[in-house]
Amino acid sequence: MRRLLFSAAICAMCVTGAQADTIHVLMENVPDTRYVQDLLPEFKAQTGIDVEIESISYIDMHSKLAPQLSSPEGGYDLIVVDFYWVAEFTQAGWLMPLDDLIKKDNVDTSVYLPTLMNLVGKVGDTTYMLPFYNYSMGIIYRKDMLNDPKEQEAFKAKYGIELKIPTTWDEYKKQVEFFSRDTDGDGKVDFYGTVNQGQRGDCISMQWSNYLYGNGGQYHDANWKATFDGEAGVKAIEDFKADIAKHGPTGAESFCFDEAANVFGQGKAFSFVTFNILLAGFDDPKSSQVVGKAGIAANPGGGLNGGWGWAIPNSSPNKEAAWTFIKWIEAKDAVRKRTMAGGAPTQAWAFEDPEIVAKRPEMGQLAILVATAQEFPTFTYTVDFVESLGRELNLAVTGQKDPKEALARAAEDFNKLVVKAGLQK
Amino acid sequence: MSYSTANGPRLSQNDRSFGWLMTAPGLLALLLIVLFPLLFTVFTSAFDYTLLHRKYDTFVGFDNYLGAISDEYFSASLLVTVQFVVAVVILEFVIGFTVALMLNAVTRFKDVYYLILLLPLLINPVVVALIWRMFLHPELGIVNYLLSLVYIGPVNWLGDVRIAFWTVVLVDIWHQVSFMIILLLAGLSALPREPYEAARMEGASTIQAFIYVTLPLMRPVIAVTLLIRLIFAVKTFDLVFIMTRGGPGTSTDLISYYIYRSAFFGLNIGQASAISVLLLIIVLSLTAYLYRYMRSLT
Repeated sequence: MRRLLFSAAICAMCVTGAQADTIHVLMENVPDTRYVQDLLPEFKAQTGIDVEIESISYIDMHSKLAPQLSSPEGGYDLIVVDFYWVAEFTQAGWLMPLDDLIKKDNVDTSVYLPTLMNLVGKVGDTTYMLPFYNYSMGIIYRKDMLNDPKEQEAFKAKYGIELKIPTTWDEYKKQVEFFSRDTDGDGKVDFYGTVNQGQRGDCISMQWSNYLYGNGGQYHDANWKATFDGEAGVKAIEDFKADIAKHGPTGAESFCFDEAANVFGQGKAFSFVTFNILLAGFDDPKSSQVVGKAGIAANPGGGLNGGWGWAIPNSSPNKEAAWTFIKWIEAKDAVRKRTMAGGAPTQAWAFEDPEIVAKRPEMGQLAILVATAQEFPTFTYTVDFVESLGRELNLAVTGQKDPKEALARAAEDFNKLVVKAGLQK
Repeated sequence: MSYSTANGPRLSQNDRSFGWLMTAPGLLALLLIVLFPLLFTVFTSAFDYTLLHRKYDTFVGFDNYLGAISDEYFSASLLVTVQFVVAVVILEFVIGFTVALMLNAVTRFKDVYYLILLLPLLINPVVVALIWRMFLHPELGIVNYLLSLVYIGPVNWLGDVRIAFWTVVLVDIWHQVSFMIILLLAGLSALPREPYEAARMEGASTIQAFIYVTLPLMRPVIAVTLLIRLIFAVKTFDLVFIMTRGGPGTSTDLISYYIYRSAFFGLNIGQASAISVLLLIIVLSLTAYLYRYMRSLT
């Protein structure tokens, strides 16, 4: 009996020991998460720490995180935070400040692009996160078509300008119109100039932001008063509607980025205003018909700046191991490996690293895309605002509401929320 | 001392105490699992309680209720929910009863039919929504591909305001109709044979036997089936969350998704609780009405 009890005690210690060396991470099911997963055996070999990643779809993440983080003892040691949750999470006191750890271990945060450090790193003077990957939006396009001399000649003959990477929104609109084609002669467009992600909620809000910036619009003025309901906003909705009706596939008003990406990946569209992280997927022969044909360019007027940051929740049961992992995965060697695999870096040097550029020539365009990206309003109630904006935009593009009325309602909600957040005077 | 019961012999005090003792753990568990969260929700609904401000220090009375009622999108969502519940309950009942009657007459391979019918019911609603979202992709989905073979389409299943609501209803029918079939079939199998034999001897046709014998005998089963299905239908969430996110516009914005948004996007647990209480009152009223109707039949 004594022997049995002794064995049980040893087993219990083993189990406890194993738990202490395991960190649980909640992440989104996207390519950049898979690049991290590929490096986990290496991390385990070097540190002895196991990393268990729970990889789920984006729409489930916020609703899973909010209750977990608000409880005193959470189930996650480490999380990734989307840029528009940052203000909410820090305001609620859910994230642990990292400044002391950064100072203690002499971690160099100057390697990060300042725009991304501001977006998913610092809040005021406190560092709550280290930027993980950027998903700034741009135009993914068919470079084989854009660079085709016959297409270039036909485009110049029709519009009197060169067919090249667009530098103005109007130029891009012309390209979308030019490449929308009826290839089987049945009177319907079946090769699309663009493909939209018009589903209600964050899908339409994110993509429409690029249309807003393209038309010269901004979300708010210096006093946080809404300005997106002005002329540029209305024009952005009209462009979005026209793209769905004339230049895009049936049903784009119900697509999120995955459905839209499938259309582009099947070789049925010329362009797709979307997250830069999707580019690598179009070079995967298992899921794409356009391998080697997709390129990326910055959105004229700037695309939406987006990114995720690594953060340790205050409720994390194993903060030390979580910090060890963050340091390791954000070190130069791991960043290079992730970027070579197709990841979207946040550290400035990675855009110019000869080894990376040799494998990924699009890094130059990605650098411009990130440098010119525009900020989406981030404040305590951004999630609520995105829902309101997404609902109104979807009502407008599906013809259920006049664009001006829809934007006026979204602006009214925005102004109420920023007043509640104490931003608008 | 002994007590009389409605149908059985009198119970002694000991039996009665023993009965309470045996049921006490169950009653206590019910109290903790059902009553406590319920009362806690009512309590929370009277406070400005959010996930950012997790304190019960701001009593707001009925403000959360009034805030919800005055929101145009709450009314829109309530209307969509009523339309959805009426549509799925009626259509699933009609289809379910028809199939149950047909299956009741079948003697061979009954188990095989049961198995096939039960399959959709066994699939998780999230998986159902994901599968159908792929099938219904207007450009790359199999449904529009099949329709194109007979020169129909492409149909904008989830993006057209006039169609999206009915698409969600159809997917719900595909998923849930088996539930109706199974319950109604169980009721039909348990019906006595004598009334049918008497009707046949009186010269009643099949339709007359259905109207004057089957329907009256089945009324209690039908009432229970409709009641259960109605309660489940009000709670539908996964289908719209995965397939439409309440869109296009507000055409599939069910109340359950509205509550979800209040709680997890707005972080406003007080208001989400208030709407949940309102929904509970509506469902309880409907349940009480149907229960009384059911009792009147028996």
